Amino acid sequence: MARRKAMLIDIKLCIGCLSCETACKQLHRFSPDSEPTLSDTAFTVVETRGDKFVRKICMHCEDPACASACPVGAIGKSALGPVLYNADKCIGCRYCMLACPYSVPRYQWSKLAPYVKKCDLCSERIKAGGQPACTEACPAQASVFGDRDELIAEAWDRIRADSSYVPHIYGVEEAGGSCVLFVSDVPFEKLGFKPAPTGNQPMPTLTASALGDSPKVVIMGGTILSALYWVTQRRREVALAEAEEKATINRIKEERS
Amino acid sequence: MLTRIKSEITLWRVIVAIIFVTGMYATFLRFFEGFRASTNLSDQMPWGLWVGLGTLCGIGLSAAGFGISAAVYLLGMERYRPILRASILISFLGYMTVCVGYLYEIGLPWRFWHPIVMWNHTSVLFDVCVCIMTYTAVLTFEFAPAVIEKLPWRQFRETVLQYHHKILIGVVLAGVLLSSMHQSYLGGLYLIARGKVHPLWYSQYMHAMFYLSAIPAGLALTVMAIYLSMRSLNVRVDFGILSGGGRMIQLLLIVYAFFRVLDLAANQAWGYAFQRTSEAGYFWLEMLLFLAIPIFLLSYEHVRSNPERLYWACAVVVAGFMANRLNVSINALQTAMGAHYVPKWTELASSVMVIAAGVMAFRYAVIYLDILPKATSQPRSRWISNGGLPAQA
Repeated sequence: MARRKAMLIDIKLCIGCLSCETACKQLHRFSPDSEPTLSDTAFTVVETRGDKFVRKICMHCEDPACASACPVGAIGKSALGPVLYNADKCIGCRYCMLACPYSVPRYQWSKLAPYVKKCDLCSERIKAGGQPACTEACPAQASVFGDRDELIAEAWDRIRADSSYVPHIYGVEEAGGSCVLFVSDVPFEKLGFKPAPTGNQPMPTLTASALGDSPKVVIMGGTILSALYWVTQRRREVALAEAEEKATINRIKEERS
Repeated sequence: MLTRIKSEITLWRVIVAIIFVTGMYATFLRFFEGFRASTNLSDQMPWGLWVGLGTLCGIGLSAAGFGISAAVYLLGMERYRPILRASILISFLGYMTVCVGYLYEIGLPWRFWHPIVMWNHTSVLFDVCVCIMTYTAVLTFEFAPAVIEKLPWRQFRETVLQYHHKILIGVVLAGVLLSSMHQSYLGGLYLIARGKVHPLWYSQYMHAMFYLSAIPAGLALTVMAIYLSMRSLNVRVDFGILSGGGRMIQLLLIVYAFFRVLDLAANQAWGYAFQRTSEAGYFWLEMLLFLAIPIFLLSYEHVRSNPERLYWACAVVVAGFMANRLNVSINALQTAMGAHYVPKWTELASSVMVIAAGVMAFRYAVIYLDILPKATSQPRSRWISNGGLPAQA
């Protein structure tokens, strides 16, 4: 099996040069102007938080909420790591956008045949053995690409070698883990990172219990309703039979008198 | 000639004309100009009024069909048979409006059939799609006799209705289960949006809350529709049935209120209700309209036994239900999503047009088909009970 790939983003090392943004936009032939937030023409942006720069990008979750939510299975997790969107299946319901805990997917609101847009971790390039355009462009080693377990080890090395780092890698366990990892020298909550809504549990567990109950509910409900129907029918039959009996008795009585 | 035309122009006809003209223009904008021109939806607010009003309210308010058909067919509550067809018709038309609305909502409407062949069993929305499609077929089946019996071919009519009768109970049973599933799954849609839905509405039992709240709201809409039919369409229903319906609505609302209060306590969300936020305001509005006022009103005999008062009490229930669904789908999300969403007029106009089409279809069905018992005597006697006998529907 292919080794799971990942991207490590080091907030301490990021100099905010926007090379990653530009490289991404060049690759996708978007207009090169920097945008303030993710959009259908900006799959990664560098946001300023105080004197720090924080990249926003699809986290490529290990067990993605968007993929579990998509009614037609247009989103899937690939073996290499990227969470990929299949535009041919999409019906444009935008449930993925509601489901994503990081609010990453964007929509082409202006188009007549709109699709969902988000980072695909340069899936084609990494399949060919390369790396994403953004990590390739990073001059500061702030965004690096590699095997996921090796990157986690590398992140721990960086944390151990420099005591200014927060001893936590965001993305290893959050919401079941992701293929984009962050290390930082400023506490994550101060940089706008929200704790994952499910803690370390994958997001799809939120719906799994409701969906898992449905076969039980259907079987139980079906049985109870059938039983009630049987009782109703039986009572009707009994009432009918009793009425007939009464009528017969009355007739006999009348005949005798 | 001119005076004849003039007399044809009534206030309601003018309103209907305005609804359809604006609705058609909004529809044109939606399909030929796109979302940007026809909605205020954004990346922060991907679902808006079409989902909140069109789908969540549309399906929820159509819940009476399965409730009444379960009561009559499965539980033998023959008392409600006179309003059975009306409630099935309301559900059927409600689901039709949702199916049409679905084409507005999805970005690529020509792919509406994808969920039928592309399955994703972990998706609540997939289950909702499949359940709604199947249940719309069930409703079509349940309603079909009203149309078939009007067909001129006797032989055909009898054969079809005979087979129809044979499988009816099975279909009704399947319909009840399907309804129960997707009524709750509509709430289940928001389970995955934990952290986005405000704590006053988010709960791990959201799906159960949706289920419990839909049935009284659906009944209330049915009572309203039957009241209006009796007032204007020369039909007659034993008012005792509607009065009993009022009591049933109250009972169901109390059950829902009990679980809602308990659920809020279990999630330790009551604190949010007393903060000075717009969410708390919307929450109390919903609580007043959907629970406090109707439960209070319907506990009075002279509200339940007076057609007009019962109608207005039911109207409050429906308004409160809509407040709940719009709160969940729009107001509960805005803060966490960092969005400020006010629907564009086109969103409202197209939704209202689709609903108006449903209302008009209901009207003509009641006039031309045997939906509700027709009044044979003078219209004045329309409230008089016919002795509680099951009228021929």
